[in-house]
Amino acid sequence: MKLKHSLFSRRQFLNGIIGGWLGAFLASLVYPVVKFIFPPYQEPDEVILPFSDFKDMRPNSVRSFAWGSKLGLVKKNDDDMYFAFVGVCTHLDCNVAYLNEQRKFFCACHDGWYDENGINIGGPPPKPLRRLTLIIVQEELIIQKESPEGNS
Amino acid sequence: MRKGIQSWLDERFGLTGITDFLTKKTVPIHKHTIWYYTGSAILLFFAIQVITGFMLVLYYKPTLEMANASVARIMTDIPLGWIIRSVHSWSASFMIAFVFVHLLSIWIAKSYRRPRELTWMSGVLLLVISLLFGFTGYLLPWDDLSFSATKVGTDIPRAIPVVGAWVTNLLRGGEDVTGDTLTRFFGIHVCMLPVFLFILLAIHIYLVQKQGMSLPLEAEGKQEKVKEIPFWPNFVFREMIVWLLLVGILFSIAIFFPPSLEKAADVMAPAPEGIKPEWYFLFLFQTLKIFPAHVLFISGEMLAVLLMIFAGVLFFFLPFFDNRPTGTKGKIITLLAYVFILYALIMSVWSLL
Repeated sequence: MKLKHSLFSRRQFLNGIIGGWLGAFLASLVYPVVKFIFPPYQEPDEVILPFSDFKDMRPNSVRSFAWGSKLGLVKKNDDDMYFAFVGVCTHLDCNVAYLNEQRKFFCACHDGWYDENGINIGGPPPKPLRRLTLIIVQEELIIQKESPEGNS
Repeated sequence: MRKGIQSWLDERFGLTGITDFLTKKTVPIHKHTIWYYTGSAILLFFAIQVITGFMLVLYYKPTLEMANASVARIMTDIPLGWIIRSVHSWSASFMIAFVFVHLLSIWIAKSYRRPRELTWMSGVLLLVISLLFGFTGYLLPWDDLSFSATKVGTDIPRAIPVVGAWVTNLLRGGEDVTGDTLTRFFGIHVCMLPVFLFILLAIHIYLVQKQGMSLPLEAEGKQEKVKEIPFWPNFVFREMIVWLLLVGILFSIAIFFPPSLEKAADVMAPAPEGIKPEWYFLFLFQTLKIFPAHVLFISGEMLAVLLMIFAGVLFFFLPFFDNRPTGTKGKIITLLAYVFILYALIMSVWSLL
């Protein structure tokens, strides 16, 4: 039945109310499911390592550490300066290796190349390796998410 | 558009047979109609078990070292994990409760009689599978209580003559309850039982559709026709109201009474006090307890287990003992049902004292 001045019939109104309620109810069931299936993951703000583990590194070499659940790399340059990278290729997430003879980072998955400063120079990687801030305070290496200035 | 897709699919699947059947299917309306709802309530809780089970298995780790910690992680770290586990645990209880109600209602109504013998037997097997689901699931959190309950539960078959020790070893994956038992129970719980359950469920539901709803005794004999309503949409909508109510009750209980998690089981520690199986095993647990150590020349435990197996077999073959035509009352069978209910209630309460 359609009333004279009504925009919709009683049937449409009821269908809308019940259907809308049912939709909201189902959404309230789906919400916890979606929340549940994504585990909480937070990238660490900083990682603190004993400097003694890295003191004996030879110049032009890298040593790995855990940056959350990703590979982190500490690199010692020829001038005895330390740098830190996230050792994950920016192309498709493979872990990279440092080839010290060629002074390059190499990703074996799709033949990606980065120079010794982590800048992408060949192959598919679209971006440089992610840099982390590295500070040496007394006997500790403090590695943090990169800030605009960077390193030491 | 919709018509187009429908006819496209129909041409390939032959769906009209099924949809025609469902639109023509009717449900009799009488004073015992309420028991028809128990079947779909079981399906509802089973569906919830499947969905929450899919979710829990994303984080659960079925090994000696990780099981308890992974459940703790679900309860504390994972967003809304405690609700999901609580719903899984409570829904299992609800499902088994409804399986019992469903079965008892059919027992008392004598709906298992010709031609529904196989429906009954597949139903009894589904009960056994539901209980095995409960039993294997109970161990998975791997805390003191579940560990001890599993030790007791898997030791019971040992009392069966000849094959007993072998069955216990099969269940445990060795002489004792160890990490191997845990992994084994997990596999049974998430791989084997679901497959068997789906096969039996398909047979069970097919038989129910094939033979139509059974009528209560007093209506069966009469000549005049019982009032009927269409299955779709009339009966389905009524079922949906029941489901909504049940989901509301389930979620409310799950939120206010989440299951606990004790510290990880230590296989070398003495059993904690007050170990209990899940509520649906209590009457069997108490039955075992009250048997004396020796009855005549055999052990009490063996006698108890043999009696239970005997009762189970009788129960399974009930349609063949009571194969009278539909319509006859079967007062003794009805009496037995009430005796069973009374026995289970008294034993369960007793075991809690």
